[in-house]
Amino acid sequence: MIQLEKIFKWVNAGNNRTFLLKDINLTINEGEFVSVMGPSGSGKSTLLNIIGMLDEPSEGSYHFLGNDVYKMKEKQRSQLYKENIGFVFQAYHLIDELTVYENIETPLLYQNIKSSERQAIVADMLDRFNIVGKKDLFPSQLSGGQQQLVGVARALIAKPKLLLADEPTGNLNSKQGEEIMELFRQLNQESGTTIIQVTHSEKNAEYGQRIIHLLDGRIEK
Amino acid sequence: MFTNYFKTAFRSLWKNRLFSGINIIGLTIGISCCLLIGLYIKHELSYDDFQEKGSRTVRVIMEYSFGENVTKGNFTSTKVAPAFKKNFPEVESAIRLYDARNVVKYNDRLFNENGFVYADSNFFNMFTFPLLSGDPRTALQGPDKIVLTRSSAKKYFGDENPIGKTLAVGSNARPFVVTGITADCPSNSQIKYNMLASFSSLGPAQEETYWNANYTTYLLLKNEASIASLQSKIPAFMKKEMGETSKTYILFHLEPMKSIHLYSPYSGFEPNSSITYIWIIIAAALLMLAIACFTYINLGTASSMERAREVGIRKVLGAAKNQLFYQYIGESFLLCAISLVLSILVLLITLPYFNQLADKQLSIISLLEPVPLALTLFVLGSVSFLAGSYPALVLAGFNPVKVLKGSFKNTRSGLFTRKSLIVFQFVISVFLIVCTFVIQNQLHYIQHSKLGYNREHTLIVPMDQKILDNIDAIKTGFKTNPGVLNISRAMNPPTKIVGGYNMRNATMPEDVQINVKANPVDEEFIKTTGLQLIAGTDFSRQDILDLGKEVQEENIYHYVINETAARQLGLTPQQAVGQKMFLGNHRPGLIKGVVKDFNFESLHTPIGGLVLFPEPRGATMLIKLSGQNMQQTIASLENKWKELIPHRPFDYSFLDEVYNKMYSSEIRLGKVMSLFSGIAILLACMGLFGLSAYAAQQRVKEIGIRKVLGASVINIIATLSKEFVILSGIAALIAFPAGWWIMHKWLEDFSYRTTISAWTFILAGALAVIITIITVSLRAVKAALANPVKSLRTE
Repeated sequence: MIQLEKIFKWVNAGNNRTFLLKDINLTINEGEFVSVMGPSGSGKSTLLNIIGMLDEPSEGSYHFLGNDVYKMKEKQRSQLYKENIGFVFQAYHLIDELTVYENIETPLLYQNIKSSERQAIVADMLDRFNIVGKKDLFPSQLSGGQQQLVGVARALIAKPKLLLADEPTGNLNSKQGEEIMELFRQLNQESGTTIIQVTHSEKNAEYGQRIIHLLDGRIEK
Repeated sequence: MFTNYFKTAFRSLWKNRLFSGINIIGLTIGISCCLLIGLYIKHELSYDDFQEKGSRTVRVIMEYSFGENVTKGNFTSTKVAPAFKKNFPEVESAIRLYDARNVVKYNDRLFNENGFVYADSNFFNMFTFPLLSGDPRTALQGPDKIVLTRSSAKKYFGDENPIGKTLAVGSNARPFVVTGITADCPSNSQIKYNMLASFSSLGPAQEETYWNANYTTYLLLKNEASIASLQSKIPAFMKKEMGETSKTYILFHLEPMKSIHLYSPYSGFEPNSSITYIWIIIAAALLMLAIACFTYINLGTASSMERAREVGIRKVLGAAKNQLFYQYIGESFLLCAISLVLSILVLLITLPYFNQLADKQLSIISLLEPVPLALTLFVLGSVSFLAGSYPALVLAGFNPVKVLKGSFKNTRSGLFTRKSLIVFQFVISVFLIVCTFVIQNQLHYIQHSKLGYNREHTLIVPMDQKILDNIDAIKTGFKTNPGVLNISRAMNPPTKIVGGYNMRNATMPEDVQINVKANPVDEEFIKTTGLQLIAGTDFSRQDILDLGKEVQEENIYHYVINETAARQLGLTPQQAVGQKMFLGNHRPGLIKGVVKDFNFESLHTPIGGLVLFPEPRGATMLIKLSGQNMQQTIASLENKWKELIPHRPFDYSFLDEVYNKMYSSEIRLGKVMSLFSGIAILLACMGLFGLSAYAAQQRVKEIGIRKVLGASVINIIATLSKEFVILSGIAALIAFPAGWWIMHKWLEDFSYRTTISAWTFILAGALAVIITIITVSLRAVKAALANPVKSLRTE
């Protein structure tokens, strides 16, 4: 599903070139649940952003579902992204001005899905996550765990093949974190959603079938 | 999708109420200015549009010369209309009009009527002034017929039917029969009348000649396109009419009727406007709108930090850049639409006052006509787009990775743009403040300068031949009132002496003449007006009686001249007394006295030579009052007037008011400039307030640290204001030369003027800086007083 070859990423600060990623070669198959671990500044998030097409490497190639991502036109790439990738953040990143329902609905808007269809999909998702009663609340009215639940629901609303999670439990207490992790496992096993998560916690990393360790921009063998 | 955009837009406007409020108020003011000025301009551009034959109608302008100077004006002689109609096949019809003043009486109702217009009988055929009753073909046919507007009919006849009744016109109460009623002239008509009398009632105008240029002539052409060809035939035709050898020449020029109001240098029945003036106020309106837009742009980009996270999220959720762009444009559209609705409310409230002030009949309904409606929507669209696109571009361009990772601090990007826009807003404000100051200075100068005569407590009353014949008895009658000091009759009041004459001294040959202004006066003129004699003596009653001989050349005149006239004759004031001089060739006489120079014309013109001479003529009565119990004195004068002069109403004005009226366009300019600079400052301040509030908000941590390190409230305010004070200082420096240059040009029009002092600039600059400090402090104080523990903890 994902093939990264010779990915380098650096930034220039004055005369020094700082490498964020060095020679990353990685293949991830459909249906995997991968955890990425490593100390702060090891390049975990950068790697996740590159896989999520939010960021581009300085060098290297990336094939996603057989498409050479960096040879695609902007529009096609954005289409590929919209249909296949969902993001979950540590800080939830819900839109404060929108209700739970509207937050979850938003990705569908950008895929030009008809209003009646949207209603059905969102209602389904609310039901599945057991948050029907909260649909008219604003993010500020929810607890952290509830917000992250909405964040996951929003990431899944367009039925992506790949779910990317950047420390999804970082802001949650352990019980809330466990619930989210259980949810991920369930998604991976029941729906076959490929999941890549960045995490600091050994315990959470264990939910994955494979753990990738990053140190100073390199994958540790 | 749109509902989602709309919801976010509305909720985020609500969340940032303060800034939304500033934006909405600013845009409302800007749009209101535009709408009001738009209505006014629409009215100005629509002049004479209602004239159905207007595009085929031309006004005739006369140009003539007797050798040296060429004179050109909107006056023509009686023969032009008939001669052109007879000789040029292009002309379908021609009409003469004569705009007069007359005393009009019906039973006990007696008024001095302006807009008493004599017109040829084809008036209603040429012009679109529909008759409400009466026959348009015959209403003005034959002498002594009169047509009234609806309001003048009401004024004299109340609810009676005026048709067939007679009005007494003029000092000899000549009867005119009312033959028709028209609607009142539309306010966008260049031809204005209250009463129309048949042209054939004008005795002296029945002779057809080229030499009595007192009338306005309009021609109705068969074909609009024939103006040029007709124009080219006129020189040859006039040469034939004048005789080939004649040294004098007369020429006529044709002006399309619809272009008179905005393009002609020669007034119509009311003063013209000009297309330059229209452009100036369009520019003013656009500037106001620009200032409001800049505030929006500034607040939009300054607050973009707050929206950055939302942008990042939306991008991660799959939003394309253009979708985000349109979302934020939509937000600015919503804001503008709210402002537009509010502007219309503002307009509904202010329009009646504006109409009263400008003496217009503007109606908000006319905004619903296709062109204004389209323009309004265009303005709405372009403002939303212009004001919204820059912030929208900034927002849509954010990189989601940076924004969402929290490593995103307010970048320096857009800072320069914001500063430039603030400077621009303040340049406009300071420029307008400077202009306002200089104009007010000049107005103060005009109203308080010593003109060389006393214009206080003086009544000025128009008079006619009948009063003149009886002037001695009338003067005696009025003087029984203890409040009356002096009474004088003269041709012109001292505010504006217009009579053009020639003078020479005894040693100059007869064909060398000096152009002067001269005014027939009586022996009380100098006392009444308070002119200062610097040599010789005042007129005596005998001087007037001396002029009683039948043959004019046998009379010996006595003259009082001004210093300039003495200098022009080559004499000092002392030498001049007793010297022989001539006024024209028929008035030999002696110089009796010399008065100090005084401004007998507008301050736009330098003082020229002036001769006062005691000829028994006059059109003006000046009554000098003591200044005590004015109202009582005037009331008793009015009673006396009714007794002595029953054929005229007591129609008085005050000399100082008459004087001020000469500068009404300057006074109006002063008011308009004060208003515009006030609005500009208000708008600029609101923008500044918003920006400084954001700055305070963003620097909350810095303020906290500074306070912990021991900074006082004043220190903090200074820190926060410094940047803005520097910006307003820069703006002032840019605005000064522009303001100085424009005002220097404006003042050059006045021969007597105030100087532009450095104080004007110091004051304007200080005002800008002080306003800046106050505005910024409003928020800075709050930021400085905040508890640093709180702000540091939240970070």
